[in-house]
Amino acid sequence: MDKGKLTIAGRTFDSRLLVGTGKFSSPQVMAQALAASGTEIVTVALRRVDIDNPADDTLREIDRDRFLLLPNTSGARSAEEAVRLARLARAATGIEWVKLEVTPDPYYLLPCPVETLKAAEVLVKEGFVVLPYINADPILAKRLQDVGAATVMPLGSPIGSNQGLKTRASLEIIIEQSTVPVVVDAGLGLPSHVAEAMEIGADAVLVNTAIATAGDPVGMAVAFKLAVEAGRRAHEAGPRAPQRIAEASSPLTGFLREQ
Amino acid sequence: MKSLKVNGVERQFAPDQMPGTLSALLDTLGIGTDAVVAEVDGQIVRREEFHRTQIADGQQIELIKLMGGG
Repeated sequence: MDKGKLTIAGRTFDSRLLVGTGKFSSPQVMAQALAASGTEIVTVALRRVDIDNPADDTLREIDRDRFLLLPNTSGARSAEEAVRLARLARAATGIEWVKLEVTPDPYYLLPCPVETLKAAEVLVKEGFVVLPYINADPILAKRLQDVGAATVMPLGSPIGSNQGLKTRASLEIIIEQSTVPVVVDAGLGLPSHVAEAMEIGADAVLVNTAIATAGDPVGMAVAFKLAVEAGRRAHEAGPRAPQRIAEASSPLTGFLREQ
Repeated sequence: MKSLKVNGVERQFAPDQMPGTLSALLDTLGIGTDAVVAEVDGQIVRREEFHRTQIADGQQIELIKLMGGG
């Protein structure tokens, strides 16, 4: 494994920031933001063609030589639906990588652990590189790792909620135990959130809403890029643990008041 | 009349207007290059196969595209 670089399923990436392509105001803004973010992996969704309003070519600006497309199974409410979407995505793109998401609850969009594990088992057997979106559940993360998931993608907080790392304690356990890359996904609303995720040892993060819906998506993409790099560097540099009482950083001798 | 269920919507065709292949159906519906993959009665059809994939009365067809998503 190339130290300092993100490696997923044997493929190495310089950037530890994955970016989603939803909610951008135009294909041009999206393309500029993706370029500014430095990302190498971008997620896409599969949907029915809108027959009454065709020619939605949001993705036409994506340079597929530069970015690895990571199709997701968003919209799936069961393992069966997710497997169907993954197979369609592979047929459409020739890409075997899939961000597996099974979200039966439309209000909080929380992933179903049972259906996600079921789908992951099927897809791994079919040769997919499976990146499952999960709640920050360390036992589920281990189970997915055991069935051959290429990463785990625990959430910081509900999708698009911008709440940051509400699941930090569980994320720390997942990071401690995982033998596959941990990609913190969902709810990362600010650069400080992704810096925090990287500082505690996440291997990568995925951001969509916070970049796409910012006042200046390109500027925000740069901010997230820098935050990921800062957080990763801090992690590698060995951050000190918090403590309850003060510890002077100036010498405790030679005070002017001493006789 | 013949019919196809396309993306969940029933569509009627006069017998002489019924498209014979998936490509012909896309032309009839005015869909250019949007559909990147399809399902015909649950069977996946790659884009390269659209022009030689026969379709028939009563089939359920899903036309699927890639779009922005997280």
